[in-house]
Amino acid sequence: MPLENLNDRIRAARAEVEARGETFYPGPSRIHLAAFPPKERWDDWVELDAKAWPKRVERRYTLVPTTCFNCESACGLLAYIDRESLQVRKFEGNPEHPGSRGRNCAKGPATLTQVTDPDRILQPLKRTGPRGSGTWEPVSWDDALDDIAGRVRKAIIEQRQNEVMYHVGRPGEDGFTERILAAWGVDGHNSHTNVCSSNGRAGYQYWMGFDRPSPDFANAKVIVLVSAHLETGHYFNPHAQRIIEARKDGAKLIVFDSRLSNTATHADYWVPSYPGSEPAVLLSVASYLIRHGLYNRDFVRRWWNWRQYLEVEHPEVEPTFENFEQVLRQLYADYTFEFAAREAGVDVEVIEAVAMTVATAGTRLATHNWRSAAAGNEGGWQVSRTIFFLNALMGAVATSGSTFPNAWNKFVPKPIHTPPHPQTWNELTWPVEYPLAMNELSFLLPHFLKEGRGVLDVYFTRVYNPVWTNPDGFSWIEVLTDERVMNLHVALTPTWNETAYFADYVLPMGHAPERHDIHSYETHDGQWIGFRQPVMRALRNRLGQPVADTREVNPGEVWEENEFWIELTWRIDPDGSLGIRRHVESKREPGAKLSVDEYYAYLFEHSVPGLPARAATENLTPLEYMRRYGAFEVSRRVGARYEEEVGGEELQDTVDDRYGRVLTRAPKPASLNIVPVPSPEGDSDGRRPVGVRIDGTVHRGFPTPSGLLEFYSRTLAQWGWPEHAIPTYIKSHVHPDHLGSDEKALISTFRLPVHIHTRSANAKWLDEIAHTNPVWLNTGDAQALGLSTGDLVRVETKIGHFVARAWVTEGIRPGVVACSHHMGRWKIHDDGQRQLMATVDLAHEGTRWGLTRERGVEPYRTSDPDTARIWWTDAGVHQNMTFPVHPDPVSGQHCWHQPVRVRKAEPGDRYGDVVVDTSKSMEAYRAWLAKTRSALQFSPDRTRRPFWLLRPLKPAKTYFKLPETPAPTGASGAD
Amino acid sequence: MELFRALAVVAEPPGPETGRILSLLEIEGEATPSAYAELFAFQLYPYASVYLGSEGMLGGEARDRIAGFWRAIGQVPPTEPDHLAVLLALYARVSELAAGTDDPKGRAGWARARTALLWEHLMSWLPVFLAKLDALAREPYRGWGRVVAQALGAEVESLGAAAALPLHLREAPPFQPGHERVTLLDQVLAPVRSGMILTKTDLARGAREIGVGLRAGERRFVLGAFLDQDAERTLVWLADEAERASRLHADTIEDEAVSRFWVSRAHDTADLLRALTLEGAPHA
Repeated sequence: MPLENLNDRIRAARAEVEARGETFYPGPSRIHLAAFPPKERWDDWVELDAKAWPKRVERRYTLVPTTCFNCESACGLLAYIDRESLQVRKFEGNPEHPGSRGRNCAKGPATLTQVTDPDRILQPLKRTGPRGSGTWEPVSWDDALDDIAGRVRKAIIEQRQNEVMYHVGRPGEDGFTERILAAWGVDGHNSHTNVCSSNGRAGYQYWMGFDRPSPDFANAKVIVLVSAHLETGHYFNPHAQRIIEARKDGAKLIVFDSRLSNTATHADYWVPSYPGSEPAVLLSVASYLIRHGLYNRDFVRRWWNWRQYLEVEHPEVEPTFENFEQVLRQLYADYTFEFAAREAGVDVEVIEAVAMTVATAGTRLATHNWRSAAAGNEGGWQVSRTIFFLNALMGAVATSGSTFPNAWNKFVPKPIHTPPHPQTWNELTWPVEYPLAMNELSFLLPHFLKEGRGVLDVYFTRVYNPVWTNPDGFSWIEVLTDERVMNLHVALTPTWNETAYFADYVLPMGHAPERHDIHSYETHDGQWIGFRQPVMRALRNRLGQPVADTREVNPGEVWEENEFWIELTWRIDPDGSLGIRRHVESKREPGAKLSVDEYYAYLFEHSVPGLPARAATENLTPLEYMRRYGAFEVSRRVGARYEEEVGGEELQDTVDDRYGRVLTRAPKPASLNIVPVPSPEGDSDGRRPVGVRIDGTVHRGFPTPSGLLEFYSRTLAQWGWPEHAIPTYIKSHVHPDHLGSDEKALISTFRLPVHIHTRSANAKWLDEIAHTNPVWLNTGDAQALGLSTGDLVRVETKIGHFVARAWVTEGIRPGVVACSHHMGRWKIHDDGQRQLMATVDLAHEGTRWGLTRERGVEPYRTSDPDTARIWWTDAGVHQNMTFPVHPDPVSGQHCWHQPVRVRKAEPGDRYGDVVVDTSKSMEAYRAWLAKTRSALQFSPDRTRRPFWLLRPLKPAKTYFKLPETPAPTGASGAD
Repeated sequence: MELFRALAVVAEPPGPETGRILSLLEIEGEATPSAYAELFAFQLYPYASVYLGSEGMLGGEARDRIAGFWRAIGQVPPTEPDHLAVLLALYARVSELAAGTDDPKGRAGWARARTALLWEHLMSWLPVFLAKLDALAREPYRGWGRVVAQALGAEVESLGAAAALPLHLREAPPFQPGHERVTLLDQVLAPVRSGMILTKTDLARGAREIGVGLRAGERRFVLGAFLDQDAERTLVWLADEAERASRLHADTIEDEAVSRFWVSRAHDTADLLRALTLEGAPHA
């Protein structure tokens, strides 16, 4: 046949196949290990059974998508459900997911081991002895719900809303529980974020309003990471794959890390800076760009609030851009490479090479900091503020290959109900001492309760383990076991954890394939939503067997959270008289309870642009489409939205402030995307900020008070921190100036690549790979201390010590020691996760607490034969308990790095020992509290907090006002 | 250009779609995993760098050049930018862009890219590769190779002759084995230096023709064992193989400059090997 005919024939065949919504070609080439089952074959996918080899035994599967529930990335998974047994056989990547693109890290496939974990909790439990005694009895969901709902209802009726608190670890669906709490009228949302990313967020927020970066790594020319993305970073898998793409395309990678992390091993430039010195180095790079005129002048002139800075801080000079440039040069003149080298302990040549590399990036500079150095140091929020300084100088903001604000790369669909803001302010989470806190002062809850600042009637911990995760865990145990301040503790968790031991109810929640959530994360320059779903429910639906309650298809009595919260809310207000029930009512059947099917059907039909049309091309409803494919790409290449010109319809009766902020009377257009965005205030005449006028044109700008990138934060200056109002360097609490001669800085924030905080001990595959956390010691330091690899070391903090084993390595800089927090899980009774939890004796005399290891991990017999094959005994050492609280006085973030003394273990010390005196914990708490600048003294407008700042659950504006009588402070109260 | 995309799929390990595509191409035979593995994993490695690189191995400067081409046209190079399937699929895409881009300037740019891809990274080695495949492969891969050759021929006819000898060939170092045995083995197994492709099947035949034992192992080891057993006859056999390759190139490569390169490269190799035979066995 002639070639042209062949060509036409294939083209026609392709068109015909693709018109049916099927795949003609096998997708990305299998040569690149990226082949996936074509989606039209997901209903009946045939594979050879690997275990049957060398026999060729075919297995038939139905592939159902869901979303991983281990780290926050929410990568797509495909559950391979055996069509004969209707059991999930494995999880692999979902190629339809725009963030993860079919690829997963080890934690994704290991979901299977979490589902089948023989130690998981399968039914609701109620304690029968004293808290922490380990005696439980099964309880029905009905009884538990009625008891909890009754207590919450009573608290609401008696105006004790602030005694109800929900404390979240791994986030579920964006905004879902915030709305539930808002429906109850409770300001009781408490997140883990202040032990996580608050410092990172704060630095970004003071620049651009948005509190989270979204680097477009794949298109970058130069990547600067103060983090460990390729190994263990925040959006590990989606980011890592894009960083690798950029590297293949010739991008240069610069990594700041005191440790030789896996990421650092991939770097073109590894900057092993001393912990906390990162801003000094970043400012020296900025200074180089400024001194040599290598920055994007026009971008800086148009988009920085330099005029405001000059007028407020330098009224003596005329506010021209040229004068600002001169001031800028002077401001950063002292940040020389030599200065940075002294602070960081890194060669001048390395820093100079980094600066010269950054200078070549143009607008393709992707930088990122999330936890890492920001989370480790007092003033760590200047890490993200100074790293973004480089983007702001280069004009590398929301351009291809640069860093975007997260909200433009994220889509949160508007839900079926939106309850109003709570009419209350919770001082236990948002105290007056921290008016600029990025998030709730969650890790100070025990200290506040001990001081008598309040009590909790109903406290939910939800997939959260503060006893193990937070610093000063013994103080948590003290308050969790004190029924005077903690009336009822409800632990919502898929698996046992150290906090659940001290609960009154333990309620089993589902893993990734057993629950609903929608997610959207800023993985690249695009917007997507991913759908987590109970895969057996989706399968039953496909088989024509509708499921009304997810418990029908989940293991045991495991539930999913959305149905739980809807049910609980319904029972709090069964007759609707409190005005709460309406927020969980059906719209299709008024007066009936909202089902999760209706909830998601509404959301996908009404709030996700393009989804209904896309679903219709396959004769599916939007919900059916999401149940079938698990993800939808809302948009790609979003671009620089701040440059967008504001249309005339939005410009009604406008006024400009003196710096070009444009205020309008036109109402804000409705948006289907309800991603959290800061809310700069309008004027007293009712106008709202709509944009910013630059060179005569009104652009959308940024959600900052000025509408511009805020080189100068008027907010920081007005709320008591004028010395930190511009990007600057704050010496960390572990700066050598603050350490004794025999002290070192301990880094504890780094992850192990295959684990995820408190949540993966129930994954046997992951446990087998990683089950220890030695103390990293530089060779020279080890020699001076007389230590070798494997020796027991005692690491002393300000409140106690722990005993671990040394690992002597050149992979960490001298003067710094490191120990990953991903280990040291423990249990005090038989209940617990036996694959990676040591059995310990927990004892105390007064405020002196000790944790002593009785047994390590051992093999044991269960329905899973692998548990009898466990060969490891180690479970690591729990170090966080020995850390006093270090709340950053500005952001409120716990600053994780510790000044420590390291020495050989003493006779009698045993591996895994943890000793703490909680009276010293309270001293440390007070010492750090004394660093704060309270709203009572520094609020410029007698409010508790700048209204424009983000807050996960925002009370009505009137509750921002400070009380007439001062709120209680840490100056009084009992321990 | 759908044809090139379909041909690319056949160069990948077979899946359910391979049969459908072969049927559309009217090629007989079943693409089984074992047939695919025998041809592409054990005999003719489907990577340009193996045939264009001075080491005769995967990767190296030849692959870098091809990756550079991907970058030059604004694409991120895939993991294996020089795999035959990837190159054929890229050719399909570039040809579509050359035909379908609205902007005349952009269209001209894509047309240049298409010509460069054809001559620099496909026609520089595929005629040699496909001729060997034709002699070696069974159906359906033999039929597939013929359609690939036919399709490339049509492209050459449509786009015209190359302006210059492809850079891979211009930069290829000559066959200069000297007296080091390891150098001889390296160079004789590097097609762009020796002008010939020696497959495992060729070596099995060589064992019979020379009268030496065939040891199991990779080609370098097998050939080394030949030299251990009878260096003189092995060198003569290799010279004859090179001469045979030279004649084959003259018969099968249509472009004059490319043909001249491969013909003379193989012919020179034959001469040098004969000279070596006279000088004695290479040193171990």
